[in-house]
Amino acid sequence: MLILGIDTATPQVSVAIGGHEGVLASTLSARGRQHAESLTPAIEFTCRMARVEFREIGVVAVDLGPGLFTGLRVGVSAAKAMALALGLPMIGVPSLDLLAFPVRFTPKRIVAVVDARRGELFYAFYRQVPGGIQRLSAHQVGTADDLASELLASGEDNLLVGDGALRYREAFEGLHKVEILDEALAYPSASSLVSLAHAQALREQFVKPWELTPVYLRKPDAEANWTTREQS
Amino acid sequence: MNPSPLAGPGTKVLGIETSCDETAAAVVVDAHHVVSSVVSSQVDLHARFGGVVPEIASRAHVELLAPVVAQAMIEAGVDGDVDAVAATVGPGLIGSLLVGVSAAKTLALVWGVPFVGVNHLEAHLYASFLEEPDLPLPVVVLLVSGGHTLLVLMEAHGRYRLLGGTIDDAAGEAFDKVARFLGLGYPGGPAIDRVATQGDPAAIAFPRAIPDEAYDFSFSGLKTAVINHVRKHPEVVTADVAASFQEAVVDVLVTKTLAAAQQHGASGICLAGGVAANSRLRERVLDTCVQHGLHPFLPSPSMCTDNAAMVAAAGWWRLQSDGPTPLDVGASPNLTLTFHP
Repeated sequence: MLILGIDTATPQVSVAIGGHEGVLASTLSARGRQHAESLTPAIEFTCRMARVEFREIGVVAVDLGPGLFTGLRVGVSAAKAMALALGLPMIGVPSLDLLAFPVRFTPKRIVAVVDARRGELFYAFYRQVPGGIQRLSAHQVGTADDLASELLASGEDNLLVGDGALRYREAFEGLHKVEILDEALAYPSASSLVSLAHAQALREQFVKPWELTPVYLRKPDAEANWTTREQS
Repeated sequence: MNPSPLAGPGTKVLGIETSCDETAAAVVVDAHHVVSSVVSSQVDLHARFGGVVPEIASRAHVELLAPVVAQAMIEAGVDGDVDAVAATVGPGLIGSLLVGVSAAKTLALVWGVPFVGVNHLEAHLYASFLEEPDLPLPVVVLLVSGGHTLLVLMEAHGRYRLLGGTIDDAAGEAFDKVARFLGLGYPGGPAIDRVATQGDPAAIAFPRAIPDEAYDFSFSGLKTAVINHVRKHPEVVTADVAASFQEAVVDVLVTKTLAAAQQHGASGICLAGGVAANSRLRERVLDTCVQHGLHPFLPSPSMCTDNAAMVAAAGWWRLQSDGPTPLDVGASPNLTLTFHP
């Protein structure tokens, strides 16, 4: 079963195609803020490099976020359109899972951290398990100081990965038992997405295009302000 | 690949529109035969905020677009066998536009058919051609909506001359602001239209602003005049205020549009945009055209407000004239009428 994976929830655009034999082809563009422009040609090119016809694709997978709202929507919208046009099932994988997956060969606790802008981070904790990773917590939103306190309180060895960890490097660097991974692994990739989605596809954990919803972890400002006003 | 997608009768275009707060898809054959047209309005999501909230609109488009496209295809009895996919690329809200552009380009890629990027303003102009495919040119088009007020001379397909526009508020914006002040709710256009039927349009002589440039409009002074009048006369009947305000707006719109049509030897007057659904404006344009021997082209109200049938129609014409749009195009939130993507 061939899986096409789309990841646009970060400043990067990445597309991969693969299945049980691993990733057959992938593309990555890191020029930023050109998601809608880059994605369609990237899908076309990736499939051509893999010598795969669109009708041979069996599943469309997409990075669900959290991440950059506008970029995220470009990928989710394209993925839904593709699933609709080809009558395919979909698999959505959270961006934080995608960050943690490639660094799983460690006994340390993995902390996936995405820059949420406005001085905040999206993060979650993971642990290696046979064949993959296990998320230990719900997705969280907080400041670098919030996360630093959580790391200190845990008393565990922590491995931080993601652009959020790098942006607020100074908040974590001096901490005891905390290691920060470098730029090479700072963003999720569509290749990880295809691998993780393949595991889910074997368990037939599919959703329909209209059931798939992005993970924003933040209300629109207008709604948040409205709620504050109602409560005051 | 479908045979000769660029020409020939029976060309089926799937149109997609997500520029503001309407999620829409439609299948149109040869730019005039509307086979299906589905519009999912988000008006209820935005009503409590008194206007469109861009982030809420973008999120709703992501949820609604796949089911809306599916519905349009089911109603049209097509399953991917369209000849082109057209989508609005601008002007509009960037986050909303991108949802439609991204989906439309993907559909075109997967189906192996051309993608056509459509200018939302041009699409509004083509609403008239949906019902009158042989509409004789040149015509003067009055495009009035919540975001735009344009007076356009359409000389030929794809050839426009901008005669005038608003120097402050768009016509629809004036309706929204006055409706909010009068406590009539959102959106303001339909609310004022409804209440005005109970009022006297001659009750209050609101000013008719005539800016220096012959075909420009100004509505912010009128809005202020309404507010001042109601503050000074709190006992005034709301229906009379609504009717008199509406009459002042319609008066200026009709007077200038008629003058433009006469000066440029137009065959008729087209109405376009959400405000073109206003019953008083339609009535006055119809009367004026009959009086002066002009053809009135009044698209049905559902084709005046944002919809995807007009996008498919404009896409069909652009496909004939310019061919497909490259798949590396993005959204252009500030597109103007005379600049084509």
